[in-house]
This record gives sequence, structure tokens and C-alpha cells, in this order.
Amino acid sequence: MSQLLNSLTTELRRGTLTLAVLSQLRTPQYGYSLVQLLEGSGIAIDQSTLYPLLRRLEKQELVSSSWDTSESRPRKYYVLSEYGLEIFLQLKKEWIANSKELYSLLKGEEEDELN
Amino acid sequence: MNLIEVYIQEVTRRLPEKNREDIALELRSTIEDMLPEDYGEEDVKAALEKLGSPISLAAGYSDRPMHLIGPRYFDIYVTLLKMILPIAAVISVISMIAQYFIGYGGNEAALNVALSLMGQGIWTVIEVSVQVFFWLTVVFAVIERTDQGKDQQPLTPSLKKWTPEDLKNISYVPEKKAISKCQVFGSLMWTAIWATLYFYADHLVGIYKGGRDGLEFLAATFNQEVLLRYWPIVVMVIGFEIALSLYQLIKGQWTKRMALSNTALQLMATIVFIVILINPNVLSAEFVTYMADLFTITANEFRTWIVGGGIFIFLLSAAINVWEGFRKARI
Repeated sequence: MSQLLNSLTTELRRGTLTLAVLSQLRTPQYGYSLVQLLEGSGIAIDQSTLYPLLRRLEKQELVSSSWDTSESRPRKYYVLSEYGLEIFLQLKKEWIANSKELYSLLKGEEEDELN
Repeated sequence: MNLIEVYIQEVTRRLPEKNREDIALELRSTIEDMLPEDYGEEDVKAALEKLGSPISLAAGYSDRPMHLIGPRYFDIYVTLLKMILPIAAVISVISMIAQYFIGYGGNEAALNVALSLMGQGIWTVIEVSVQVFFWLTVVFAVIERTDQGKDQQPLTPSLKKWTPEDLKNISYVPEKKAISKCQVFGSLMWTAIWATLYFYADHLVGIYKGGRDGLEFLAATFNQEVLLRYWPIVVMVIGFEIALSLYQLIKGQWTKRMALSNTALQLMATIVFIVILINPNVLSAEFVTYMADLFTITANEFRTWIVGGGIFIFLLSAAINVWEGFRKARI
């Protein structure tokens, strides 16, 4: 039972991770700073999906990357590209509309339960 | 042992050469970010635990699919496999038998020949199946990896995306009316078996006795010479049976016309069977004597029993067959 719940929850979250990551990349971030940002906002992430995701976004030209070697430890910074910003805004709109619909759906169901 | 380096190596060795260095560098800096200022082995373990199994991390980085054949091709793969496997098996068995008889001297007992053919046949079928399975899988695995269409929709057998138009090419067949490929293959097999028995009756059909060198052939049931006088009409029945089987394979369901052809076939086969069996010379004298002794009755009584019983059973099965055909056609 709990295993099923786990896999369903993971499935629900999977799609939102891209949106969450894109939202934080308006300013350049490196891998671990992004993890901290997301965890600070209470978003649980699976790090083994996050790092490959960043590379995929780069390949899809939604973000661009650059190595910063000025500090003692070289870090790879990712930032939204122009195209990425455009896509992000559309995704965001989609998500907000979606969650509103879902919310009213669940709200209605809750009221049914009360009656 | 440096756990971090080993971990990075475990990830990167699964990746394409050109990305390795960059990903290794990024992973190293990420892992170091996760560690506190002054870290020990426990801290490293905790950090690596968070990154998870190197295999799944590598799979995330790599664009290659982690399956041989994905949902896009799976259905068409299975369809092709089911189609090609039986055909390949039948063809290989037939050619194996043909090859065997080209080199056949005619000295061995027929049943021993049949047994060794069966053994070889099973082996050939296994061999051919493995080959077909292997090559088809290889071809599809390659297609899966080279196809650039990232659409996950399954493809139809015509290798195009599904549209409602595709439904027009499929005839709707109710379950009870359907003739499965299995049934068609079964009846073709049956035709092949009895035809072989007919033409090699003097080697195959008769009384066998277990001896030291395998089975020993004592006496043939039929007079082959008398039996073979009827060959043109028997060949016609064989041809008719094969034609009907192919017709069934194409149609896939029982129709009224099919039931009528089936009736004609059964009628013809029954007449031929009776005509052959009531010929007084068709049963060999040795066989009749042997069996009559066995049951302690006279030769004539035994002959009557065989002819009467044979005709009765044949008539009954033909009648049932005809009736089934009409019943299924009417559904």
C-alpha cells in the first residue's frame, strides 16, 4: 500500500521538478546552490534526477552553462536562456491554470464529503 | 580508498566518452559542495547516499534508453515474432524432412525413421526459433536506438501512427465464429500426417513388436499395391483439404459458403474412404490372420468388424465436422 502511494507521489512530483528548477534559474546557480534553494522552499528533490535534468535542459537550449574557475573549486553555473525564459513563463501559466482546475475539482469533492 | 573518485568513475564509465570529463568535474565539485569543511568517511557516505546509485545516475545522464525495445515498437515486434516464428519453423522442418529422404536408403524400419525425424525436427524448430528471436530482437533494438522520432505512441503494423482509418482494415470477428491460426495449422498438419501414412503405409502402418534393436515391424496392415491404386482420387482429397485450410486462414471465420465446401469435402473423403475399405483385398492377409488369432475370432468376422467399425467412426466424425461448420457459420 505505502509502496504504491510512494510511486504515485513520485509520479506526481516528476513533472513539477522541471518547473521548479526553471523558476530558480533566472539568476545563475550551480548544482548544489540550486539544491539548497529548492530545499529552502520545502521542495523535496531527488538529487540523482536533478543533475541529469540540468544537463538535459542545457541540451534543449532552455539554459546555458559556464564554468567559473575563479574560486578554489571550479563550479558549473546554469542560467535561463531567452528561449528558456519564454518556455518557463508559458509552463508557469499552464501550471497555475491546471492547479486551479484541480483545486476546484478537489474542493468540490470535499464538499460532497461534508454533505 | 577514495570513495568519491570511485563513485565518479562508476558513473562516468557508463557514459559516452565525450561527456565524461565534464560530468566528472561537475560531480566532483557538487559532492565537495555537499560535504562539510572538515569531513570524514561517514560524511562522504552520506553525500553519496543522497546522489543514489551510480547506475541510475548514469542512466539519467545518458540519452540512451534503458530497455531493448520500448513501447513504440513493442507491439509490432510481438506481432512480427508471432507471424515469422511458426512460418520459419514449418519451412525448416519441411526442408529438413526433404533432405532426410533424399539421402534415405530405405533399409531402416519406418517407425525408427519417424522417431529420429521427430527428434531432429524438435531440434531444428528450437534452433530456428532461437535464430529468429535473436535476429528480430537485434533489428528492433537497433531501430529503437536509431529512430529519432521521440514520440512514444505505439506504431501500427504499417509503421505509421494510429488513425481511426486503420479500423477499416480489420474485420470484426466474434470469438465463437473465429478460426484461429492454430486450428488451420492443426488441420494442415493432420493432412500431412495422414497423407504420409497413406503413401508409406507398407512401412508405417502395421503391427510392431518391441525387440532388442528398437521396434520391429511384423506385418503391414494394408496391401500397399491395392491401396495405391486409388492415388489420383486421394491426391484430389489432399488438394481439396489444403485448399480449404488456406481459405479458412484467409477468411478467419466460418461462413455459409465455407460450411458448404466443408460438407462437400467431408462427403468426398467419406466416399473415398468407404470405397477403399470395402475392397476385399485392401487389408493384408498376414495382418488379418494375426489379429484374428489375437482376438480368437475368424478372419471374416475380424474383417467385418474392421470395415464396419472404420466406416462407422469415419461417418460419425464427418457428420460432427459438417454440423460444427454450419453451427459456427450461423452464429
